Amino acid sequence: MTTKCVLIIDDEETIQTVVKFGIHMKAGWEVLTASSGPTGIQTAQTANPDVILLDVMMPEMDGIATFKALQSHPQTEQIPVIFLTAKAQTAEKRQFNDLGVSGVITKPFNSLDLPEQIAKILHWQVDL
Amino acid sequence: MSSRRSSSRRSSRPRNPQDELSYQRQRVELLAEVTLKIRQSLQLKEILRTTVTEVQRILQADRVLIYQVLPNGTGRPISEAVRPEYPAILGMEFPEEVFPADYQNLYAQGRVREIADVHDPASGLADCLVEFVAQFEVKAKLIVPILETANAQPIASQRVPQNQLWGLLIAHQCDRPRQWADFELELMQQLADQISIALAQAELLGRLEEMVEARTAELQEANRNLTQEINDRMQAEAALRQSEEQLRLITNGLPVLISYVDHRQHYQFNNQAYEEWLGQSPAEIHGHHLRDVWGEVGYGGMQPYVRAALSGEVATYENEIQSREGRLRSIKVTYIPHLDKNHKVKGFFSLISDISDRKAIERMKDEFISVVSHELRTPLTSLHSALKILATGRLGTLSDDGQQMLEIADDNTERLVRLVNNVLDLQRIESGDVTMAKQACNVAELMTQAIEAMQPMAQQHGITLRTKPVNTQIWADADYMLQALTNLLSNAIKFSLSGGEVWLTVESRLQLDRSDIGSKTEPSLPPPKGKKRTRKTQHSDHPEEVLFQVRDQGQGIPAAKLESIFERFQQVDSSDSRKKGGTGLGLTICRKIIAQHEGRIWAESQFGQGSTFFFAIPAFKG
Repeated sequence: MTTKCVLIIDDEETIQTVVKFGIHMKAGWEVLTASSGPTGIQTAQTANPDVILLDVMMPEMDGIATFKALQSHPQTEQIPVIFLTAKAQTAEKRQFNDLGVSGVITKPFNSLDLPEQIAKILHWQVDL
Repeated sequence: MSSRRSSSRRSSRPRNPQDELSYQRQRVELLAEVTLKIRQSLQLKEILRTTVTEVQRILQADRVLIYQVLPNGTGRPISEAVRPEYPAILGMEFPEEVFPADYQNLYAQGRVREIADVHDPASGLADCLVEFVAQFEVKAKLIVPILETANAQPIASQRVPQNQLWGLLIAHQCDRPRQWADFELELMQQLADQISIALAQAELLGRLEEMVEARTAELQEANRNLTQEINDRMQAEAALRQSEEQLRLITNGLPVLISYVDHRQHYQFNNQAYEEWLGQSPAEIHGHHLRDVWGEVGYGGMQPYVRAALSGEVATYENEIQSREGRLRSIKVTYIPHLDKNHKVKGFFSLISDISDRKAIERMKDEFISVVSHELRTPLTSLHSALKILATGRLGTLSDDGQQMLEIADDNTERLVRLVNNVLDLQRIESGDVTMAKQACNVAELMTQAIEAMQPMAQQHGITLRTKPVNTQIWADADYMLQALTNLLSNAIKFSLSGGEVWLTVESRLQLDRSDIGSKTEPSLPPPKGKKRTRKTQHSDHPEEVLFQVRDQGQGIPAAKLESIFERFQQVDSSDSRKKGGTGLGLTICRKIIAQHEGRIWAESQFGQGSTFFFAIPAFKG
């Protein structure tokens, strides 16, 4: 099994928890958590995860601003980012894709399904 | 008696030329005097009385009378001057024998008679007449005719024969025979002529008076009619003014812009709201073209609808305008054409209502639903994931009851997720936030995707999905088409018994009238914005449409419910949502999606023998 490192940035702690549990339980991947954009960027710079799951709606620095900040740092610009959003509309998905994010996962999701969804989006050849 | 003697003296002819001249002058003066008196009056009775009085005075005769010949041959003295000692004969009726027709004819030809002594056989009077006149003590008489001459008939309408005898001017001497002088005869003749003229004038006057009277009556009648007409018009105008005033009063009280625009697109009526909204008073707007009032840009926006109204169609649209305070108002505009008796468009009525509040409330409602739905999603994610993790059993083993409770929690969380998703979908489509990204879509691909998506659910319910993909194209938003198809398939699966079959089929055909398909019910679809919904028949030359059918072998739908099932939260059995895990919004969403594609959706069913859901979408003609 290929071990991956996932960083989840979401201001909701319960989301952090279920994502951590689900991914770990299903795929055994390492899950790092951050509760805000700035701490997430810091973690990303130091831990260099394989993928960042980024909540779009966060107070102060939202997902889009955080994504742009990540893109502007040489250390983090290569890390693929998947948005977590409650806005499921097609037009919004297109808008996010246009920003250059790797993918969009719509809330509500089942965290046990996340490894499969991530692997599909990023074309990872992993055995789940 | 002395006067009679003097008359005798005056009546004798003067002997010498001096006297002759004097008499001549006197005669002319007298004639002039009498003529003047006659002419001073237009009253015939007065003229005749003056004549007899003056003739008697001049001739010193005992009796002078005017005898009128009546049409039946009899006659009657109608004016008389007589000395008091002799009997008056005024008003007596004289029989025809006294003055027979041949006598009348002679007089009509201008004969005069001067009889110096009635008893003298040479006078030629018949004995009976001598006897007749004796009762009036007539001894001598002088008779001249009064004629109605051609000259006296200037009005041609009632032409009488020329020189018809009207009457006689007669002088009597009663105390003795009398030799009448020539000038006396001439005087009588001249006065008779004057009477003729007076008669003519009197008749002319009479006729003129008749004419004046008739004309006056005509004028009075005309005047009455005119007055009546003026009154009628004034009343009509007053009624119109009152009606307009009432209309103005009523419309001024309404918080709506109300106007009438004629066929040249000029305002003919505006209520007071125009001043309040736009700062332009009805008086300022009256008679002005729409362009003058709304400006080039505003007019451009309304022009298609104005054209529609002036071609006889009711036009309705929504727009935004800037009020006099500078704020934007959302408005709903309705134009109602005004047709005359021949169905020709004379203009249109325009009603504009402010829907800003409604729009604001709608926006608030949409925002609220959107926010609530979004906010629900995050805790739902946690709940859903947590339950799924628990269900793995890797965090500890639950008892059978505990496991059952967990499944209930899990099922209902999923149902809640679907409900939130559906509410959000519906709100988005209804609010118009959604713009269908329409493109040419391959129907076969859509069918395959829909079947694949529903396969797990079908397997779970023991249902076989059957389809025969058709390689054609529609002009649609593929994501929403897929949603409509999966909603219908999901319903078909849920309401089928295990072991049953569900078919998804498609046929490409001309746009049909519903009767051609034999369906009984079709929920009414709101026409797409700005377009009128039209029915097309098989025989028309319109583009093809693609008809989708989802057929099941389930319990079927009662006829009474075939329409209402497309309303939100309307299910055949209210317990269905609990039993089948539906949200009650699936078909409503389908209907909205199909409407956005200018399509139609309906259901057919025979209770107990399954149902078929149809929807038709315009084909893509690339």
